[in-house]
Amino acid sequence: MLVALLLLGVTAGVVVLDPRPATLGRHLYLVPVVVAAVRFGGPAGVAAALAAVLLFGPIVLREVERARVTPAVLDALVTFAVLLLAGALTGALAARARRQRRRYEALLAAQRAAAEPAPLAMVLVRLCAVLERRLDADALGLVLVDGDVPVLSGGPKLARDSLAARVIAGGEPLFVADIGGQSRARRALVVPLTAGGRTVGALALERYGDIAREEREAVCGLGAALGLALDNARLAARQRRFAEELERKVSEATARLAEMDRLKSDLVALASHELRTPLTAIQGFSELLATRPFATTEVRRVAEIVRAEAERLGRIVADFLDLARLERGLPLALRCARLDPAPVIADAVELFRRTRTTHRLELELDGALPPIEADADALDRVLKNLISNALKYSPAGSCVRIRARRESGAMAVEVEDEGPGVAPDDLVRIFEPYYRSPSTARLDRGTGLGLAVVKSLVEAHGGTIRAERAAGRGTRMTFVIPAVS
Amino acid sequence: MYALAGAYRTDRTALLDGTPVRLLTMLGLAVVAGWAFAAAGIASIVIARAIGAGAAQGALLACAVAWTVPRPERAADVLPIGIALSALAGAVAAALTPGGAVAYLLAPLWLWRRRSALGAVGLAGAPSARLLLGGIGFGALLGGHLMLTASLTLGYRIAPPAALELGPWLAYDFGANVLAAECFFRGALFDRAQRRWSFAAAAALSTAACVGRYLVDPLLPRTLEVAAGAAFYVTLLSIGNCWLYWRSGSLMPGLAAGYVFFAVYRLLHVVP
Repeated sequence: MLVALLLLGVTAGVVVLDPRPATLGRHLYLVPVVVAAVRFGGPAGVAAALAAVLLFGPIVLREVERARVTPAVLDALVTFAVLLLAGALTGALAARARRQRRRYEALLAAQRAAAEPAPLAMVLVRLCAVLERRLDADALGLVLVDGDVPVLSGGPKLARDSLAARVIAGGEPLFVADIGGQSRARRALVVPLTAGGRTVGALALERYGDIAREEREAVCGLGAALGLALDNARLAARQRRFAEELERKVSEATARLAEMDRLKSDLVALASHELRTPLTAIQGFSELLATRPFATTEVRRVAEIVRAEAERLGRIVADFLDLARLERGLPLALRCARLDPAPVIADAVELFRRTRTTHRLELELDGALPPIEADADALDRVLKNLISNALKYSPAGSCVRIRARRESGAMAVEVEDEGPGVAPDDLVRIFEPYYRSPSTARLDRGTGLGLAVVKSLVEAHGGTIRAERAAGRGTRMTFVIPAVS
Repeated sequence: MYALAGAYRTDRTALLDGTPVRLLTMLGLAVVAGWAFAAAGIASIVIARAIGAGAAQGALLACAVAWTVPRPERAADVLPIGIALSALAGAVAAALTPGGAVAYLLAPLWLWRRRSALGAVGLAGAPSARLLLGGIGFGALLGGHLMLTASLTLGYRIAPPAALELGPWLAYDFGANVLAAECFFRGALFDRAQRRWSFAAAAALSTAACVGRYLVDPLLPRTLEVAAGAAFYVTLLSIGNCWLYWRSGSLMPGLAAGYVFFAVYRLLHVVP
């Protein structure tokens, strides 16, 4: 509007004051031409100059009609040429300066957006918004290759044969003068985002309008700077993720250590009690034997008590030693040999039948059991521990069933009781060292080591053990040891 | 977004791909035959000129249509013939009788009815009202300037036109001259050129071709001043229309500019 007013003003002045081709007023046309060129660029400068030519032309043409080509007409023609040249050159220079300013502004804005502490996808979205505005794009997309997965902004997916995918693979910018399928020509330019000499992504720009060679080169430069900024943003994001992960792990480890510490404290108290009970019995009964005269049958009974308590003490100490070895990462000392498991199982069951008359013990040997490579003592410990637990946590008069069978190249043994059963949440945890299920801890004292040692012993034989709730009520412990072929 | 999700195509048609060479040859032969008949006294020179003018306009329109319709389709062979015949019929009818100029409307009518199939030539879809008004204003400005300049330099007077004299010329501009120029130089040539080169290069090519077409027009008075004036104004009109097409993707603003400009030009032409 300002340019039009200036043009009309100058024309009116010339027409009113001095309507001759050589009038000095013609030079005033430079003002609107330069204003248009500086404000809107080269094409606008040329358009303003043409408008000036159109406005001043009739005055010159009238002189041509009257006196043909005179020096004054030549002067006017030179003025036209100067106006066109001034409009074009000033506009070009102004446009170049504006482009450079916009390039730096875009770069600064992009770097600011990339430096924000946000997830990478969010950073890309913000960058897209900033660059779309700064680069005058009708659509803008950013792709950043993070590992094998491209992080995208500006589109839902990256097609394998797309321009951007080609640029990422080839590392060279691509320009398409028209993407087709539209009533207006739509240009597409994709430049690689580079960092440290490698292509880390691509910047894609689409526009209804020219993307001049100079601008394409500028966008390439922007891609290099942006690649570096985004690579830094990606590293920062990765570092943030790593720090968060580390913090979480440290927090978990601290909680676990605190739990372990608590469990060990409990254990120390428990162990002192567990060790002291048989020790007190042994000490008391041995003192009685040493200081008082007893009948032979009474001596045998007391000696049997001392032996049972010593055995209990020995079992507790053995459990502790085994666990200490396992915690240090040492294997359990086993003397494995090929053996028939049936007699070992039968002996263990028979022993409990004789000593624990409060429960019924049922043994089911399902056909001939396969031979296994095992330490007989370890197998015995496993069985006794499981049967002992079943007896301990099931009511008097109930039945404890021990079933052994061949199971696809292995031997499986089940010990099932009719007790209250283990809570579902505890089914996995009961094999952890020192862990005692809150529901069973109330019923009986223990070290919480038995099942942990059992699991270690079974695994040392290449087997597995699992706990499950029996159909109806009670718990079923099943361990499987591979058979010898 | 195409650059991310679209498949990158490297195939690109040549600038003159799809030109209906056989049809152009036939039109050329028709012109030659017309002149031969006129020379032999079988037909009048007026008819021969009409065939020449109609064939030229028809060739431009046929090329524009042929470049627009995808090649494998049968319509690519049939439609150019239809528009060429419409243009030819208009020219011949106008030459035969004064009222025959109405036949010039055949070509725009034909194009309008098939505009959906010819979307790529810039006939489908409505342009923004702003650009349409811009086109009318641009044509009026340029025409007004032409009128002022011509009245100052060439001794023309501005006077109310006689409707009977002006009507056929307006019909000619509406149905043949401006329509053919815009369809071919903007809708076809500039459209193809701008899809491979910059606006400046595409506009330069289109404008050069357009100026060339008007300079060889037998209807243009053969004087240096008029030729220079025609070149000057057609250049401005062509660049302006290229810009309007570039901005809108539609021929309508350019057609509006052309119609207004030539309407003003006809005022001068008929009122010497």
